[in-house]
Amino acid sequence: MSRVSAAPAQPPAGGRTRAGWLLLPSLALVLVGLLLPLVLLARYSVAQFEPAETAISGLTLENYARFFGDPFYLWILARTLTVALSCTAICLLLGLPAAYVISRVTRPGLKTVLILATVIPLLMGNAVRAAGWMMLLADRGLVNSVLVFGGILSDPVRILYTGTAVVIGLIAVLLPFMIISLQSVFDGIGEVYEEAALSMGANPWVTFFRVTVPLAMPGIFSGCLLCFVLAVNAYATPVLIGGPSFQMMGPKVYEQAIKVYNWPFAASLAFILMGVTLVLTLLSSLTLQKRYGAL
Amino acid sequence: MRPAFLSPQRSFKPAMTAGCAAAFAMVLAPLVAIIWVSFFDNKIISFPPKGYTLAWYAAAWDMPRFRDGFVTSLELGAVATLVSLLVGVPASLVLARGRFRGREVVQSLLMAPLIVPGIVAGAAFYMLLIEFEVLTGIQIATTFTGLAIAHSLIALPWTIRLVTASLLGVDSQLAEAALTMGARPLTVFRRVTWPVIRPGVVAGALFSFVISFVDLEKSLFLVGPGTTTLPIVIVNYLEWSVDPTIAAVATVQILLIAAGLVVTNRYFRLTRAF
Repeated sequence: MSRVSAAPAQPPAGGRTRAGWLLLPSLALVLVGLLLPLVLLARYSVAQFEPAETAISGLTLENYARFFGDPFYLWILARTLTVALSCTAICLLLGLPAAYVISRVTRPGLKTVLILATVIPLLMGNAVRAAGWMMLLADRGLVNSVLVFGGILSDPVRILYTGTAVVIGLIAVLLPFMIISLQSVFDGIGEVYEEAALSMGANPWVTFFRVTVPLAMPGIFSGCLLCFVLAVNAYATPVLIGGPSFQMMGPKVYEQAIKVYNWPFAASLAFILMGVTLVLTLLSSLTLQKRYGAL
Repeated sequence: MRPAFLSPQRSFKPAMTAGCAAAFAMVLAPLVAIIWVSFFDNKIISFPPKGYTLAWYAAAWDMPRFRDGFVTSLELGAVATLVSLLVGVPASLVLARGRFRGREVVQSLLMAPLIVPGIVAGAAFYMLLIEFEVLTGIQIATTFTGLAIAHSLIALPWTIRLVTASLLGVDSQLAEAALTMGARPLTVFRRVTWPVIRPGVVAGALFSFVISFVDLEKSLFLVGPGTTTLPIVIVNYLEWSVDPTIAAVATVQILLIAAGLVVTNRYFRLTRAF
């Protein structure tokens, strides 16, 4: 390693050892901003709750026991998972054709427009998109007003503050992630396999479902996983579109930490949330590796 | 006989196009609704509108909380961008150069802010800051500093990803060659490395700004009086009323973000960021 400058034929090693300090600032940021906080959160999740006391005391599993012993919280977890699952399924249904069309568009200008139309909403922030759905779905919102104005409804129907509205709002939030994930795999597959299938007499549907989709399976998996994880952790959409009575896990963490000020319980909720996320990520990447080899 | 458009040969393309149209309708509907409503000449949203006006933009700008939120978010975005570039670009240079022991671990650590859910990370960071305050008496939670650290952190993985992507496929021996020919490290950076990573850095900067500007979950725990970001102001307002004023505010955010991303796309194919 020390002879690097004298041996340009094998340049790498020494330069890198010397360059290692360049990693330090970024690692320090992650350490202070994420790792230490998570360690503290883990500690809090097994601490005794003492009202009006920030010091950590005790070592107990009662926060977790409270969660898994109370049907109220289990119901919230079940609802969160159900909402996430429905959203993921619908996102896949809508995302497949959208991503396929984008990746097979031949005019570069149109392709850029479609990609921007996907990425701009993706990075628009949840507050703004929730605002849009509130304007559309409220009792006197655009959808109801147009339906009543057009004579299709005599009275507005309640859409906002229902589970359906939350699912609709989340789909709009998650769909761009699904489209981007799928679009990149479809781009990678290319059209040769499809052309081969078509030239051998398969019709376009058979080609799509028997050739393209199986080839895209790893991307479909990771797109679904991403959607599911984001849905489980959603905050703004359930709070604003679901209203106070439609409770999900993300808002509960905030409520316990900031409004109820029960940090140990908030911490255990957060860890359950993250546990669900991590277990799913691990399981699916193991399944993927088993089926498709290292990715 | 069934009609021709139902045959498997003919129905595929229209069906795909229809699915694609439905998907984009879902994604774009809320944004279109906001922009449309922001011009309504009614205090309460109703259809059809009485007329169209620009008055809500002026009204929103006259409300201190929106103006303050906007300014805070701009400042925060600028600081987060700067910090994430300052710490992220050097890290990307090391990561892109190749293998070393522990590279995988380092990379996963630096990408972790993307994986840990915002609400979990936000709660955890908030608790750490409060503990820190209890121990030292220095307040960081609910101040600009706390927000700036959190936002730099969420911007970091994107900066690293974009800068690293711009280095992929570039011969790492270019810099080595310049070094062996006697160029000083700073000259090598300026004349060899910088031209290569510039698109990635510009895209990384714009992306970081956008990520910081729109963040809600992470900031939720960290905002305080005088340091409330625009998305939080929007959410707080929405819990009480949905009207053309908030539509005007949201439209400003939509236009700002859209402009940022259109510019980014000129430097860097956006799909490479994901």
